[in-house]
Amino acid sequence: MRLIGAEVLKLVRRRGLMAWSLILTVGTVVTAEVVLVVLHAVNPDHHGPAGGATNLEHTVFIASGLGNIAAILIGATAGTQDVGNGVFRDLVVTGRKRSTLFNVRVPGALAVFLPMLALGLGLAIACSFAFAGDLPNTSGSEVAKYVEYSVAISVVNIVIAVGLAAFASSRVVVGVLIAWNAIVAQLLVQISSLGGVRKFIDTAAAEHFLPLTNDGGSRIAMSSVTALLVLLGWALVFSRGGSWWTSRRDA
Amino acid sequence: MRGVETVIETHALTKKFGDRAAVNGVDLTVPAGVAFGFLGPNGAGKTTMIRTLLGLTQPTSGDVALLGLPQPAKRAEALARVGAIVEEPRFHPHLTGRENLKIVAAARDRAAEGRIAESLERVGLAHRADDRVKTYSLGMRQRLGIARCLLADPALLILDEPMNGLDPAGILDMRRLIRSFVEEGRTVFLSSHLLDEVEKTCDQVAIVDQGVVVVQGAVGEIAAQGEPTLLIEIDDTAAARKVLGGEPRVTHVEDEGASILRLTLGDGLVPAEINRVLVNAGVAVSRLEPARATLEETFLSITSRLGANE
Repeated sequence: MRLIGAEVLKLVRRRGLMAWSLILTVGTVVTAEVVLVVLHAVNPDHHGPAGGATNLEHTVFIASGLGNIAAILIGATAGTQDVGNGVFRDLVVTGRKRSTLFNVRVPGALAVFLPMLALGLGLAIACSFAFAGDLPNTSGSEVAKYVEYSVAISVVNIVIAVGLAAFASSRVVVGVLIAWNAIVAQLLVQISSLGGVRKFIDTAAAEHFLPLTNDGGSRIAMSSVTALLVLLGWALVFSRGGSWWTSRRDA
Repeated sequence: MRGVETVIETHALTKKFGDRAAVNGVDLTVPAGVAFGFLGPNGAGKTTMIRTLLGLTQPTSGDVALLGLPQPAKRAEALARVGAIVEEPRFHPHLTGRENLKIVAAARDRAAEGRIAESLERVGLAHRADDRVKTYSLGMRQRLGIARCLLADPALLILDEPMNGLDPAGILDMRRLIRSFVEEGRTVFLSSHLLDEVEKTCDQVAIVDQGVVVVQGAVGEIAAQGEPTLLIEIDDTAAARKVLGGEPRVTHVEDEGASILRLTLGDGLVPAEINRVLVNAGVAVSRLEPARATLEETFLSITSRLGANE
């Protein structure tokens, strides 16, 4: 626990990282809600109430998408800061196992990121009910699914970022993961000729936890167990890979 | 661990990078309770040796024991009582000095956190402990590095070039700090290429060159291994040179001043004989002073011999 606390300390003292992460997770939700409320107040005939199920879906889409970038930033920083600042060798000479020093990075990053995500999602959900007006509200099970999805995709991305950061610089990790999430994975999911292989794409597995939209969306059909196993597989591959390389390399 | 007589012991320790041996079959013995200098020119393999001792890089072959404990089998147990600065001391620049120590204390035993304040006090950084490290000078970072070592209440401190980048006052402070650790019964193993500093700070020394420990022992003993020299003050240096030229046991003569010569003596030649030879030749001798060889002279003589043998 003391090592996890140290990881948290290293992250939260980075003002720029914390500011951007808060903007991406909470600031975007606040901005979206303010815009919706103002539009409805100015022209209620054209713009419906700011809350309700549809608006929540859109807000969660924004919050989880941009929050995912914050997760990647935090994970990449957690994974590279000891080596990048030349402090890793000083931690190694305490006698702690390198794998232990690696393994505390993920819980440290999660301890910093998840409260921000909770705040952003909580705000979005609260606003959807508070400003619903005459619009239908989101059901409890749908709210739970939004939370499951947002937590799943961001936790997996933090683990991947920390693992990948054992091999590359934080800039490379951030660039690769944003490109993967925003472009490459989305394109691969659209290529129907790939068939069932698309189940193994992490974003496709995470989307399984979203509530079904009216048209069913473009999600890949899979069971909850499969989706969970795919996400666990991604997390396991990158965390074990990062731990292996951290233990093996010269400090 | 208590009562260990040898804090570092290596046998045939070798670390190779490709075909090049940075550490080449080193047998090193560092006794407890001394300041031990690991002296060598830049590129001699000092830092690689330290990194290998601490398990930061794996040796190619050979054995290491720290505080009497075989490495890497009892690595955690040994390193719990070792504090080390490897290369220049590095920190998280966005954290304060105190926070940086908290980070390392979290990786050590629970008592380490309780030593943060006293460690900062000990190195004279208590007043800057809550400033960010990026505002620290190199000298302050060196001292913070020492404070970080003290979190372990170390029986052994391993310091890699601790005087690097320090101004004269900083060097003096560091020397006093190192001597105070030795007085407390700790062992300080320091690498340096600064001969003068090792001679002033250390009790024992090992001279390393090209990955090989050439000689090790007490500083005075090693310095005494150089050929004896003699300073003579005479009234006529030209006549003295002519006389000494006929004495084969005087291996080298050089000017030290207007009327002073430095002689290198060989084969048991004693100053009294030199005096007799010169006086008999009509050269007036007003001063005869056996000169103690410095560690620097011994070091240069050893490393130049190695160079000549290549």
